[in-house]
Amino acid sequence: MKKPVRANLYLGLVCVLFAVLTLTVWIPLDVKSGILEKVRGRMSIGDALAPTVAASFILLGGFLLVLFERKASDQPALTLKPTLFIGRLVLLFAVAILLMRLLGPWTVAFTNLFAAEPQEYRLLRVYFPWKYIGFVSGGLLLVAGVITLVERRFTWRAVLTGVLVVMLMILFYDLPFDDLLLPPNGDV
Amino acid sequence: MEVFDYIRLGILAVFQGPEVLSVFGISISITVLMIVAGFLLGIAVGATPGLAGPMAMAISLPILISAFGYHTDALLPVMGFLIGIMKGATVGGAVPAILFNTPGTPDAFITTLDGYPMAQKGQAKKALRVAHLSSASGDTFSDLVLFVCAPFLAIVVERFLDLPEKTGLIILSLSFIAAVIGGSVAKGLISTGLGLLAVYIGTGEDFYPRLSMDTQELSQGFPITTSVLGVLIIGAVFMGLEELWSQKHQSGKIEQAKDRGDQRLRWPEIKRLLPFIGRSAVIGTAIGALPGIGSTLAATLGHTLGKSTYDKKKAKDAPGFGEGVPEGVAATEAANSSVSGANLIPVLSLGIPGNAAAVFLILAAESLGGLNPGPSVFRFTTDSVNPELVAVFGLFTCMVIANLCNWTIGGVFMRTMGVMIRIPKQLLLPSVLLVTLTAIYVQETRIEALWFALGFGVLGYLMRKLGISPLPFVIAFILGGKLEETARQAFSATGNDPFFLFTSPIAAAFIVMSIAVIVWGARRGAK
Repeated sequence: MKKPVRANLYLGLVCVLFAVLTLTVWIPLDVKSGILEKVRGRMSIGDALAPTVAASFILLGGFLLVLFERKASDQPALTLKPTLFIGRLVLLFAVAILLMRLLGPWTVAFTNLFAAEPQEYRLLRVYFPWKYIGFVSGGLLLVAGVITLVERRFTWRAVLTGVLVVMLMILFYDLPFDDLLLPPNGDV
Repeated sequence: MEVFDYIRLGILAVFQGPEVLSVFGISISITVLMIVAGFLLGIAVGATPGLAGPMAMAISLPILISAFGYHTDALLPVMGFLIGIMKGATVGGAVPAILFNTPGTPDAFITTLDGYPMAQKGQAKKALRVAHLSSASGDTFSDLVLFVCAPFLAIVVERFLDLPEKTGLIILSLSFIAAVIGGSVAKGLISTGLGLLAVYIGTGEDFYPRLSMDTQELSQGFPITTSVLGVLIIGAVFMGLEELWSQKHQSGKIEQAKDRGDQRLRWPEIKRLLPFIGRSAVIGTAIGALPGIGSTLAATLGHTLGKSTYDKKKAKDAPGFGEGVPEGVAATEAANSSVSGANLIPVLSLGIPGNAAAVFLILAAESLGGLNPGPSVFRFTTDSVNPELVAVFGLFTCMVIANLCNWTIGGVFMRTMGVMIRIPKQLLLPSVLLVTLTAIYVQETRIEALWFALGFGVLGYLMRKLGISPLPFVIAFILGGKLEETARQAFSATGNDPFFLFTSPIAAAFIVMSIAVIVWGARRGAK
């Protein structure tokens, strides 16, 4: 006998739990004004009302899911393998962002080991090649890495695609406009 | 000054601006050139998976202002360029939705429902032709209504919709979208609630940014680009990559859709589509004229009403809406495209945008001067010239020129876009990821925006996996701030009446309709 799918029931329960925690813990502890506030003798709507309405939407949706849609025929079925694939994808994405953010400053720090006068990435970020180190490495890893992950094999076509997209982004944003900054040059 | 004098002055302002080039002795003004350039850019941006019109407008605006300077002479060239992008992206936006199932805008998401299945059945070019015909027709109809009715409708809308009614209207639109999109009112409400909660993080009137957990990163809130692009585009890309990975896992190869059957659009088919286009054009125009409600509701309504009409007439074994029928694409595209013209009624007369594109038009007008959106814009003064009204007729002329481009260049361009489906998806989707991340960073210039985008991307993926439509999330995120602001103002304006939503008959009717639509949706789900 086929095991019944209960995704809607579990989703509904998670939503109810999340909404109740939001209403009873998160909002009271993390919003400084109430639902209605008295300011200089006048009543006004406080900051807590809007998130309370939002959480109420989630609570109502969760209840409806548990009460009326728990036995719906078109329930989603989550399986392990695709979830693991997405986990790897997110990890790759995160490493690419970290590379974009850190590789430029790290390269400068490394070259400072051999330089007579230490330099700061912040001062070099407008100059070639420094300003592209993070974006090129992170962007290339993201594009080529994701293609490799999907195709399950490394190809030079993946690398070439990564190089092409990175170059197009530089051509589109960086070369014509001085005030548009590629990652991570707005942060450092 | 008579009405026709204003129209004539508006047209002349567009055509007699500074000449940039001459073609066969005909002088081409800078404004005309900017409209055409903006339109071409708009189609390119709209047709590129992962890019969207508002993104191009957001990036172009500071560049345009830098190039033309802060003065009123820059108004028409800059606004013409932005209008060109808006219209080009509207028609081009159907391309990635149909070919790659990656909508660049919330309303293009509805286009994917029938457009993408058509492409999968090898009818990609036909779907693009249907989308272009419907989009251009809806857009032209809407513009004509705008030109004729704008002054009158603006007065009527403003007279009947005060602050409590506007609050009620936003609640109604959120409830409606939660109830009708995705087939499950419960999941629609969850999606809406999550969108509202996300937009309220790090905002508020108190000194302490609410729900920020005392962190610097959350205290500024989530930028709109990260949430919209994250949930809609990155989430869709994750889902697409997972599908490709699964295909490879199961069959060892990644499938490519090939063209099958007649790709042309024949006159009998056009005749069959016309009632769907006409009905949706009227719906989109009516929705567009209401302040605060954008093209997504129009697309949803157009698709829903088109479906009910289609279901009554279709043969028993014929495919239904959502299974790749041209009527579904036509009903959606005509509705969302017909919003853009009528949307300028509340934009110009009230200063209230109905969608993201309109936000940038208002920003441009406010930055450059010469046009302050509000009731004074439509004042027909007879003893002196109202320069704002001349500018408005100049904008109308820009829209007509953009429409002419749409009927000519738009069609040709969309047809050439059919070749994009031949680009391997496993190369394109990762590229879209990088383009989206770069576009987000260029606008936000902080690395947290990329982390937020990743988080929203994962949320968008999970929502899709769990059968929750991401669209109510995005609409709630866009309307959430306006809902709170309008409610605060209405509360204050009604003398701190906590029942302000029920004391006005129109507002009360909106609330009753909101409850009714949720109850209807819940009963439908229970069955």
